[in-house]
Amino acid sequence: MSDAPVLQVEGLVKHFPIHGGLLQRQVGAVRAVDGVTFSIRRGETLGLVGESGCGKSTIGKVVLKLIEPTAGKIVLAGEDVTALKPGAMWTHRRRIQTIFQDPYSSMNPRLPSGTIVGEPLENFGIARGADRDQRVAQLFRRVGLRPEAARKYAHEFSGGQRQRLGIAKALSVNPDVIVADEPVSALDVSVQAQVLNLLIDLQEEYGLAYLFISHDLAVMRHISHRIAVMYLGRIVELTDKRTLFTQPLHPYTEALLSAATAPDPKRRGQRKKIVQGDVPSPAKPPPGCHFHTRCLYATAECRVTDPPLLEVAPGHHVACLRRPVGGDPGPLTAP
Amino acid sequence: MTGTPGAILEVRDLHTQFSTLDGVVRAVDGVSFDVARGETLGIVGESGCGKSVTAMSILRLIPPETGRIASGSIKFEGEELTTLSEEEMKRLRGHRISMIFQEPMTSLNPVLTVGTQIAENVVRHLGVSWKAGRERAFEMLDLVRIADARRRLDEYPHQLSGGMRQRVMIAMALSCDPQVLIADEPTTALDVTIQAQILDLMIELKEKTGTAIVLITHDLGVVAETTERVVVMYAGRKVEQAPVEALFEEPLHPYTRGLMGAIPRLDVEADAAGTRPRLQEIPGLVPILTQPIVGCAFAPRCGFATDRCRSERPPLVDAGAGHLVACWEIDRVRRAA
Repeated sequence: MSDAPVLQVEGLVKHFPIHGGLLQRQVGAVRAVDGVTFSIRRGETLGLVGESGCGKSTIGKVVLKLIEPTAGKIVLAGEDVTALKPGAMWTHRRRIQTIFQDPYSSMNPRLPSGTIVGEPLENFGIARGADRDQRVAQLFRRVGLRPEAARKYAHEFSGGQRQRLGIAKALSVNPDVIVADEPVSALDVSVQAQVLNLLIDLQEEYGLAYLFISHDLAVMRHISHRIAVMYLGRIVELTDKRTLFTQPLHPYTEALLSAATAPDPKRRGQRKKIVQGDVPSPAKPPPGCHFHTRCLYATAECRVTDPPLLEVAPGHHVACLRRPVGGDPGPLTAP
Repeated sequence: MTGTPGAILEVRDLHTQFSTLDGVVRAVDGVSFDVARGETLGIVGESGCGKSVTAMSILRLIPPETGRIASGSIKFEGEELTTLSEEEMKRLRGHRISMIFQEPMTSLNPVLTVGTQIAENVVRHLGVSWKAGRERAFEMLDLVRIADARRRLDEYPHQLSGGMRQRVMIAMALSCDPQVLIADEPTTALDVTIQAQILDLMIELKEKTGTAIVLITHDLGVVAETTERVVVMYAGRKVEQAPVEALFEEPLHPYTRGLMGAIPRLDVEADAAGTRPRLQEIPGLVPILTQPIVGCAFAPRCGFATDRCRSERPPLVDAGAGHLVACWEIDRVRRAA
């Protein structure tokens, strides 16, 4: 892992307008991403974890510039790509690729898989003709598919094999960063293990940086180096994996970890505090700390003041008024 | 296998098949198990293992155009279900045997209020007045801890969050005090914090009402936290069955072992360097169910497989203390632990 970040995101905001009324004027906004800052180094996996509607997938799309940010800055391999129009962004797409949850929906059913995987090579003028075919065969072998399978169509592959195809396609242009949005959520556990192992091997081989988006804490813990926990459009805690799981500081992180099921019947009934209620709508997030409505430790101040994301201990960022810089990392108590 | 005393549901040698263009799919290929009164039985396996089809068979919800229960017996309180008429099944479903599914939105009627839907079930099965049905609906919503239950009675499913819809489904399923509740992936579509709430609720209600639960899931964590006994299915067959502690303590079937090695663990301490141990992979793919499977269905993917495994179907044998496993090489597997 080198220290220079390949992807930097600063103060990223994405609001989706809500239109209503007779004239369809904008009456509000879904604050999907509400000021998010992070960076990823070469060879590093940053996990984005959170529940539905927390904005993790929107961050993936904005970083890929599939949708335009409302505010903030995206720096890819040292170059500010925030304001680039699609045409100008195009050349940068080689540096940042993506793997989807359901690769099937992203593959043309009428093209043989070899053509699908080889398309980026032609598009970016990397290889053509026999050279391209040779590279495609290499890619197939690298992701654990037989090169002869290049003649088959997407529907002839199993779910796990299709995910391998998606990985081969993303890999074909030799990117710096891969955004992986729930890449294993649709797969059975035995196949999920194959794909996770492959992703880790490829990262070590090519020094890839992953922005890994998932709701699954166990998968996160397995693949990530650092993890950002999101709640209603904001990062509430960001630290290395080990610290996050052994010494979570944000009450929401604590609640998430406590809610996760473990494949061990002996731990049954050890769940401590489960948060009650549902996640509020991102169109109308609560004032102050977004989590205060479900937080066991919220004070009067939490209901009015936005907690900034602070580095409370080296490398450990937390957005909680009850966790000041250099404060006691022990358990919180209800006020 | 003989009937367990106190069994409320007895499934024997169930075969459920579907006719497709590619041939006959043997979705459930000779499965037997019992559900005792008030117990929680887990059925676990990956996509296509037949766990949901088993549930649909018990409820006789296999679409007759494509599928059928080819043979076997399903007894509920001693009564054979496979030969009941559709009318008789309708009197049973939602009353003495109920079900909840993964996606509550598809099971709830979008144009009726939740109060009406729950009351409808109560009026239909218990023959009470609408007023009493509505009152029961209120009690049930209150029981599944929906806040402000009186007002929620008059709301439509789309006005509720995913977690609340699943609570409504549970309220409806339990509204006529069923003896058995079949829950097919009840928390799979929910966020983790909501999943935890729903699982806790199900366990609590089971203790209160004494309803037996058949919990069908792919999630070993959910199984470990909620069930008492577990059936592991692979390719339409039961490969292992054990009390939940025994299954996680010492899984005996190579497939179960493979599954447990394949899941990333949250509860295992990472080493100091933070290195990521490799997950155990199960090589290969699940068999195609249109072709008859000779021998053990898992043999092509199994590191212990011998010629016998490839030619003779292993019977389920009791490895001690109610731990059943269908494997010829059980001694070698045990030593390899």
